[in-house]
Amino acid sequence: MVTQFGIKLAVHLITNHFGNLVAVILSLSRLSDLFCIGIDIEVLCVQKVCENLFSHGVLTLDQLVRYSELTKDQVKNSLLVLVQHNCCQAFVSAPEDDDDGADRLRVRTQYLVLFDNIIHRLRFPKFLETVSRKLDEECVELLDGLLRDGRLTLKQMVDRASQGKGKCFMMHLIENAVDTKVVREILSKLLTARLVERCPAPEPVVSTSFKETTTRKRGAKAAKIFEPPETLEQRVVEAAVPGDAIRFSFTADMKSKVDRETNSDDDEIASVQENDEKEEEILWRANFEEFIRHLRHKALIENIRTQHDDGTATVLSAVLEATKTVEKKVKMENSVPLSLDTITAEVMKTDTGRTMTIDRIRASLSQLGCSQRMIVDDAYSIDLKKIIERAQNEEVESIVLKRYGRDAYRMFRLLSKDGCFHDTDQIAASTLVEKKEAPKLLYRLWKDNYLYMEKVVATGVKQITILMWKVNKPLLWEHVLDEMYHAALNLSLRMAFEQEKDEELLNVPKDKLKEPGPLQKKYKRLLNVWLLLGSSLTKLDEALMLFHDF
Amino acid sequence: MSILQGKRKRQDLASALSASMTNEERVIYNIIRGKKEMGIWQGDIKRETNIPDSMLKKSIKLLISKTLIKEVVNIQNKSKKVLMAMEFEPSKEITGGEWYTEGRLDTGLIDALSDVCLKLITRKKVATRDAILEWTRTLGSEVFPGGVSSGQVEQILKVLVMENKIQEVNSTGFGDFSSVPAGEVCFRLAKKVGTNVKVGAMASIPCGVCPRITFCTPNGIISPTTCQYYQKWLDF
Repeated sequence: MVTQFGIKLAVHLITNHFGNLVAVILSLSRLSDLFCIGIDIEVLCVQKVCENLFSHGVLTLDQLVRYSELTKDQVKNSLLVLVQHNCCQAFVSAPEDDDDGADRLRVRTQYLVLFDNIIHRLRFPKFLETVSRKLDEECVELLDGLLRDGRLTLKQMVDRASQGKGKCFMMHLIENAVDTKVVREILSKLLTARLVERCPAPEPVVSTSFKETTTRKRGAKAAKIFEPPETLEQRVVEAAVPGDAIRFSFTADMKSKVDRETNSDDDEIASVQENDEKEEEILWRANFEEFIRHLRHKALIENIRTQHDDGTATVLSAVLEATKTVEKKVKMENSVPLSLDTITAEVMKTDTGRTMTIDRIRASLSQLGCSQRMIVDDAYSIDLKKIIERAQNEEVESIVLKRYGRDAYRMFRLLSKDGCFHDTDQIAASTLVEKKEAPKLLYRLWKDNYLYMEKVVATGVKQITILMWKVNKPLLWEHVLDEMYHAALNLSLRMAFEQEKDEELLNVPKDKLKEPGPLQKKYKRLLNVWLLLGSSLTKLDEALMLFHDF
Repeated sequence: MSILQGKRKRQDLASALSASMTNEERVIYNIIRGKKEMGIWQGDIKRETNIPDSMLKKSIKLLISKTLIKEVVNIQNKSKKVLMAMEFEPSKEITGGEWYTEGRLDTGLIDALSDVCLKLITRKKVATRDAILEWTRTLGSEVFPGGVSSGQVEQILKVLVMENKIQEVNSTGFGDFSSVPAGEVCFRLAKKVGTNVKVGAMASIPCGVCPRITFCTPNGIISPTTCQYYQKWLDF
């Protein structure tokens, strides 16, 4: 779900991080709803590309250059920056059935803007915190490098680590060169936790046609916009299965590993060297998917903790921890089924769960919505979607309460819970709202897109128009998400504005700021403003993830 | 036997009264009585009978003074008072139901009953519907002189759920639920005692409650850099 303000926020983030040039390229993607920027390597068939553009929303390099008023090189460089930072994915569109001979031979490289990855840039501090809690400081440093530079090879990571040390101790660089083995070890820790992955294929071949299915993972993502989500999700899952072995593997070439066993000793040494060289060339990047999965689990557990108790949260946490490697996608609707014995064993492993008895665990599972049928089958699966939906409802309801008051809150909750049409009088009677007030409040909610209304004309002795109200969740959720992107953009803009306004304070020596006076007062205010805006943005980002990524 | 006697008495009284009425009064009275508990507006009587305005008003006054009819406030339109024969009680459509007194929502009663229910649930941590009903029945006579029906208590519980003050849950039989058999539906407080109400991420920033958010653009007249709400929020 990419909304108008979502795009604006993404463009703002890119402008902030990389400057105007790249942002222009990105904002051009707004020209097409489909988020595709196309560069046709052969400019021969401009007409054909134009047709493509209209039907698929793809832009040629010429058009891109014309719209952006940049040179071809500038556009190319900007695209390279986007690719380096995983904000853009190149792909080659597969020849169509109706293409003639010349068309079939032509290579069509297109670029897909990865909206999610751009928004993830807001979450880098959260990703780093995750690693700091799960692993150690060395891993945090390595990941920090990956997040700052987008994609790195092992050699680049070693260089980075060496430079870092050189700076720390103010000594000569070579003396402090970090051993490749050390970095390799840190990287393998991150790989085992699946927090880092190999970069995807640079230019997979993808069919952009509506009906055909593709086998490449990125390709499936690229075609996501054309297909209903269900089939595409299946396609992504199918494509991801064979990739998993390579995605988190250190070995450069799987084939050479097999060969090594049969070859002679000399060959083995040679192939090891070759393999090491190849290994150093592999590009690595942070695995956003795993980070988002981790954050989703965290949100699920915290929601259950506030809704129920610590014991129930412990049970859910143990179940999620045990099944995380089996989860096929981030947005799992139900947890992977586990038997009571497995759950008990997992709960016992945790510090807080050691004291829990089987009966207590069973009670917690029933609080988590596990049905009688699951008890009979001894396969407990928790409805995770329900927990997320509840949290989404709470977020929207809290906006309604703050904006429209308690009476509107009651009416909104009634409609949201029932999910069907109710007439004005019925709503007023069920929620005990003054009959004259109810239509006014409902109208305000409707005007701001929080309610959906339909007029029904009843013809009897008199013709009466009855207003029927409903909460249309898919529509409303999109509206709320857009407002949230808008709010996040505003917070970010205000932060930049405050910084610009008090820029001179940043150049003042720190000693002067410590002296009491107007300068110190101003500085303290700026710190408070930053703290408030920053923490609000972090909190709002959690809500954004709740509606978009979870 | 006594019912028959009662009926005969009323009929005698009506016939005696009807003898003392003028023709207009009788016509008006019969129309009002015919409408039973729904009553009728004065304007509608005029349309039906074509009796001149002054005569109509005079007759109605007389009928009220003879306590044959009464004026009832109509919830749909408070200025349009409804006339009803004395022996009928106004219908729900006219009064608005048991939560309305004299055409107004009795917020005092609603608040008091909500308080009682909440107090019981807070004290017991978990309470079944029956326990709450029993409690209000015993306590009801002291706190609510008019008495409260079980329907009213049920509705208050529903409203409290809507307000997210209490939750309807199934008992697990453990911890707080130990007093209630497992599987039984019961009510408990939605928020743990001592914890603050969770405010959403959007609701805690100015944009979340801004009535002008649709007019706000980065470089527009309303923008985050010129926003008055932001100014107030960031005023340290």
